[in-house]
Amino acid sequence: MIPMLQRALRIQHTWNLPLRTCQAMAAAAFVLEVVGTNLAWATYTGFPGLMSLSFYPAGARSYVLALSVALALVAVRFTRRRQAGIWASLASFALTLQTLIAISRDGGGLVNVSAGAWITLLGTILGIIAFVALPDDGAPLPSSWPRLPRVLDGLAVVAGIGAAMLLLVYGLSVDPANQFVGLVIALIGGLAALNRLGLFAWLGALYARQQGLSLALIGLAAISFPFTQNGESYWLRVGANVGVLAAAAIGLNVVVGLAGLLDLGYIAFFGVGAYVAALYGNAGLGPSRGHIPFLLIVPLGALVSGLIGVIIGAPTLRLRGDYLAIVTLGFGEIFRIVVNTYDGFTGGPNGLANIPDLAFGSFNFGLPHKVFGITLQGFANYYWAELVLIAIVVFVFSRLDRSRIGRAWVAIREDELAAAAMGINTVAYKLLAFGIGASVAGGSGTIQAHVATQVSPDSFVFMQSVLLLAAVVLGGMGTVPGALVGAAILYAVPEKLRAFSDYRLLIFGVLLILVMRFRPEGMIASKRRQREFHDTEASGSDALSAPPGFAGAVP
Amino acid sequence: MTQFFQQLSDGVVLGALYALIALGYTMVYGIVQLINFAHGEIFMVGAFGGYTIYHYLLPDNMPALVALPIVLVASMITSGVLAAIVERLAYRPLRNAPRLAPLITAIGVSIALQEMIRLFYPNADRGEPFPQLFPNGQVHFGGVSESYVNCFLVVLSVVLMLALRTFVLHSATGRAMRATAQDPDTARLMGINIDRIIVTTFVLGGLLAGAAGTLQGMVASPIDFQIGFIAGLKAFTAAVLGGIGNITGAVLGGFVLGIVEALATQYVPNGSALKDAFAFVVLILVLVFRPTGLLGESVRARA
Repeated sequence: MIPMLQRALRIQHTWNLPLRTCQAMAAAAFVLEVVGTNLAWATYTGFPGLMSLSFYPAGARSYVLALSVALALVAVRFTRRRQAGIWASLASFALTLQTLIAISRDGGGLVNVSAGAWITLLGTILGIIAFVALPDDGAPLPSSWPRLPRVLDGLAVVAGIGAAMLLLVYGLSVDPANQFVGLVIALIGGLAALNRLGLFAWLGALYARQQGLSLALIGLAAISFPFTQNGESYWLRVGANVGVLAAAAIGLNVVVGLAGLLDLGYIAFFGVGAYVAALYGNAGLGPSRGHIPFLLIVPLGALVSGLIGVIIGAPTLRLRGDYLAIVTLGFGEIFRIVVNTYDGFTGGPNGLANIPDLAFGSFNFGLPHKVFGITLQGFANYYWAELVLIAIVVFVFSRLDRSRIGRAWVAIREDELAAAAMGINTVAYKLLAFGIGASVAGGSGTIQAHVATQVSPDSFVFMQSVLLLAAVVLGGMGTVPGALVGAAILYAVPEKLRAFSDYRLLIFGVLLILVMRFRPEGMIASKRRQREFHDTEASGSDALSAPPGFAGAVP
Repeated sequence: MTQFFQQLSDGVVLGALYALIALGYTMVYGIVQLINFAHGEIFMVGAFGGYTIYHYLLPDNMPALVALPIVLVASMITSGVLAAIVERLAYRPLRNAPRLAPLITAIGVSIALQEMIRLFYPNADRGEPFPQLFPNGQVHFGGVSESYVNCFLVVLSVVLMLALRTFVLHSATGRAMRATAQDPDTARLMGINIDRIIVTTFVLGGLLAGAAGTLQGMVASPIDFQIGFIAGLKAFTAAVLGGIGNITGAVLGGFVLGIVEALATQYVPNGSALKDAFAFVVLILVLVFRPTGLLGESVRARA
């Protein structure tokens, strides 16, 4: 099915319909979709988004409407509109179909689907045909995006980040799983379409010009997230968990993305940190070893993890990368089995429970606090603590990335023999990357122990390593934003899709295959980033960028 | 002392199983330099393929010794076909991609297969009791005793390994496989259809893994969706131990690993709990002291 879809997306001029015909078809599709979304979709009330009301396009209908308006605009005048249009119209078709199926399933049959849904479906099909038939202008780069004056540059940055933030808050508030799936479909289609139109290339260049402002704004947006939650703790807890794993993902990113070493036991280093924190952080149940202040525990966990990483890495890093993958996998299993077995020291299969909340003086992390009159649940404190950790990690990472060490890593990743021939001590640099990655994992593990208030061997299974790897791969190997976005998506989206939680791993497995096949550089490609952010190093091509002739959706 | 020989003999049984699976790793690695992470899952799906035939297709009153070859062949065909499909859909498109890409894909395939069986095969998450298709009873030799089915496992494994050896050494396809492993570009120039050889290699590995699936089912009855993971890891360890890419080495490595594991379970304190960790300790030790394995040549770096 995938190759078929891809072929469909790559049809070149086969239909040869004149531009006017296509635009007329697109217009007809637009009319059908607007009419359809304004009519009732369901015969019964109770479906999310009030589908039985006419002239009230809420819920999934609003997503279709938004996509169709965007499509109508694109159809009129835009270079590269064909690919963008195909993406967006496919998304609106999938969205309509998904809602239609959900309505008939929830209501007990197709009879419960009203005319509006069918009209919209027809419109979306017509839309697909219109855009597939559109002659491809084949413009290499969209020129439609203006270069703004400097003041507006800043405003655009503010608007972009603000929009992303609003979208995030809105997305978290969309509750029924049906509608959330619809939103995801609409977002994927819409963002892919915008990408084809070159919006993200334009925004990327914009942010590069306004780097300081963008970073400050992103930081501000991240810090203010707890204030959007109305004193609820649910998403803060999720945010706290995502934060820990995002920090770990950045660490893994150094290992996999920059140095090109596949570490499949990464979660074990995370576990080492968590156990250090539990054992020396006064855990209430299980064999606690005493109490070391938390500010010392973080570096201690990082240090212990890093040392273990070096011990594991030293013998294996002399060999080819594949061996490392297996040895780290083996180490991950050994860690889990050993922790499970020696219960005198680690609490065995029960783990260590009742790890106390962090407290600095009288400030207890676990309790709600009032800031500016807004009550913030305890997880907000952990969330902010993690932001600090992430900020430190990101800072160190980006300095390393641009240093001699970072360049050495990239060189090793690209071609180890050539790197060695250039005088790089490949083993030492690989060991450094491996050790740094392990310490970052250990450090974030110490926080995780306090967030979760307990540690047990079950939390550090192979699948967790795979999830982290999937986060890095999906987000984009070798880029900090990629690791962050990947971790946020892989750990937050499943919270929304509890109904599908059983299928989570299956989806991730398939996702790994598809990403490697169609977009190996991930969502946020490091190659482009490198070009944009430091032009001098533009020659360093991404390890996973497609060679010529690689059939891929690389834009 | 009897205890020692009993563990030795159990180790041989275990080792035969590891060796059968390890052959698939080593052959694929020899030809495309890919660690086929999904191989353990191919083995697992093979076991389920055989079980499906027995449970849903064969008549209930069929004599066990008639059913056995049918189940065995069904397992082998399932695994062989699955291996071919995986190669075609997941690995072939990445033939010329950087090495990390197929490795990550392989992990994805492994998880996807595991989860598909867990989610869509009835009771695969709790474990299905595998039919006992071999007569009960034990062979006694000195103080050592092994069940008939264990003996059958070792005999069949050895027969399959010899068959594979004959195929690789004496058939035209086997010669083409060896040529491709040595130098794919030159092999192509000599008129060898590389794609076909690679698929053949995957299928051969799959056939052996499928046989191992049925055997594993019979000696360690309930089969579930997870049996491929640990078995795959250990078989890979066996392949590395023997020298990856080397067929004789994989067999040797399998037996050595099986024996080490059986003995360690007995003689190391807390051994049975740590059972699964021994293989990895062995792996790490091998990589430290003899990275090329017992029989391997020096690991060539391929650009």
